[in-house]
Amino acid sequence: MPLISTRALTKRYPGVTALDGLSLELEPGVIGLVGANGAGKSTLIKILLGLLPQTEGEARVLDLDPATQGAAIRELVGYMPEHDCLPPDVSATEFVAHMARVSGLPSGAARERTADVLRHVGLYEERYRPIGGYSTGMKQRVKLAQALVHDPRVLFLDEPTNGLDPAGRDEMLELIERIGNEFGIAVIVASHLLGEIERVATWLVAIDAGRLLRTAPLTSFTERTGQLLIETDEPAEALAARLVVRGFNAQADGRTVVADLASHDRPEFEIYDAVRDEANSLGLALVRLEQRRHQLEDLFRVGGADERVA
Amino acid sequence: MSASPEPVGTIYDIGYRHYDGPRLGRRGAIAAIVGAGLRASFGLGRSGRSKIIPWGALVLALIPAGVAVAVRVLVGDLIDLYSYSNYLWGIGALFPIFVAAQAPELVVNDMRHRVLPLYFSRPIGRFDYITAKLAALSLALLALTLLPVLILFAGRVLAAEDFAAGLGDEIGALPGILGSGVLHAVVLAALGLAICSLAARRAYAAGAVLAVFLIGGVMAGTFQEQGRGLADLAPLFNPLAILDGARQWLFGGVVAESPVAAADLPLATYGLATVLLLGVSLAILALRYRRVTT
Repeated sequence: MPLISTRALTKRYPGVTALDGLSLELEPGVIGLVGANGAGKSTLIKILLGLLPQTEGEARVLDLDPATQGAAIRELVGYMPEHDCLPPDVSATEFVAHMARVSGLPSGAARERTADVLRHVGLYEERYRPIGGYSTGMKQRVKLAQALVHDPRVLFLDEPTNGLDPAGRDEMLELIERIGNEFGIAVIVASHLLGEIERVATWLVAIDAGRLLRTAPLTSFTERTGQLLIETDEPAEALAARLVVRGFNAQADGRTVVADLASHDRPEFEIYDAVRDEANSLGLALVRLEQRRHQLEDLFRVGGADERVA
Repeated sequence: MSASPEPVGTIYDIGYRHYDGPRLGRRGAIAAIVGAGLRASFGLGRSGRSKIIPWGALVLALIPAGVAVAVRVLVGDLIDLYSYSNYLWGIGALFPIFVAAQAPELVVNDMRHRVLPLYFSRPIGRFDYITAKLAALSLALLALTLLPVLILFAGRVLAAEDFAAGLGDEIGALPGILGSGVLHAVVLAALGLAICSLAARRAYAAGAVLAVFLIGGVMAGTFQEQGRGLADLAPLFNPLAILDGARQWLFGGVVAESPVAAADLPLATYGLATVLLLGVSLAILALRYRRVTT
């Protein structure tokens, strides 16, 4: 049984299609849900929580149907919204304990777990003060704590690093990684920042304009491309032209040349010798020479979608 | 957890612990919201300042009944005890004050600071949420609309020469006491929360609640001066008068000071007006909370 599965999931609003035939199967782990703002990430999360009915298609979370068993799902999942959602006049302890009880925990367990969870997210003495006086970083921790306090099986985090400074960002990402790996809770983290997702996720789901671009292990997104990236200190058209003459497939773009490592039936690394010789004869200084890897950003380049849809 | 060999006083990370105890689901969630709402209604767990109005109103509602009962029981026949319906009307001015001060505490911040999505991502629906809030404020209001009258009831029974006979005389009034208390509490809570659900801030909400009762009272007064015909409609602008009329219709007991006594309307009109007041309030709440985006 997969953690989450969807089949042809579609959500249409008047004039807008937020999700367009999304089919997914996700296993537990830290799952990055990436896409630009408005790509449909929040809509997907709300449908999975049973807060929003889909227009078409099916979804299952923990083998439950969000459309009919939403309450049962919401007892077992935690949700951290993107926006501010904390009342300013109560303390973190009071608020998180209340939210634990609203999740169905008896009051004793709610108090105990509140203390535990606030310690795990790194809130100590300040937890007895009203939330209104907290920094953004502390508020994000309270938001995370209320999603975690009832020990959910799945955690939905919507843009958890929103508004954080670089240090706060690092700490939040570290926490997410711990929750996924150490606490053993499946995490779906939605973000428009690929660099962050790359640091915590083991599996990646990329969506754009409500459509699935790709769903795959993170490693497959960044594997080697079989291309050589050559950067020089001057415009490199001449170098590319010479490589083509020598039978390699090469293209120049400003001061960089991208060439296929293996061309025709030449041995794979012969191109290194060719680059060295041609750069030397042209009097070009080589700045960088490396095997190119896929960049997550490639997913969202024009044409990326067509090439890579699974 | 097993004992650890580490020295006493050492702080060590015991790691994350999973929870495998009971989960009370929707019932537990609703109970939690009702409980928290009750506490908020009396400013419990908040600053001393937020306790002044609810506790002040409660004390003011109880004092006349308490004093009268004490005097009656200790001194005897010096004074007559208030009638139940006169007492409820007499302390009526405290109800709008309590509702204006406490109803906003229950709902406005959840809406304003967008806490609602956190509730709705838990095992309750939006109608569970607002029903729980309504129950909390109604229960809190019972402390004003029922408790003082029950004290009066106890006083009357205790002051009687013969306890059994006294109980026999008074027991017939009990359904009316309970019914009137619940009727006032539920309708006032629904009206108060409906007004608050439309306000962006607590202060505006409190002002709006007071305005509804004040304007109702002033309009009722003005209409009364207009002479016959219009004067009969006067009580229908005052929520407290509507409730008093409905109380009379259901349980009897005329209150001389109430505008209901001055107006010449069939009592069933007030029953209808009460149903309308409650219905409109609940409809406002239902529509307002259906529109909240998660």
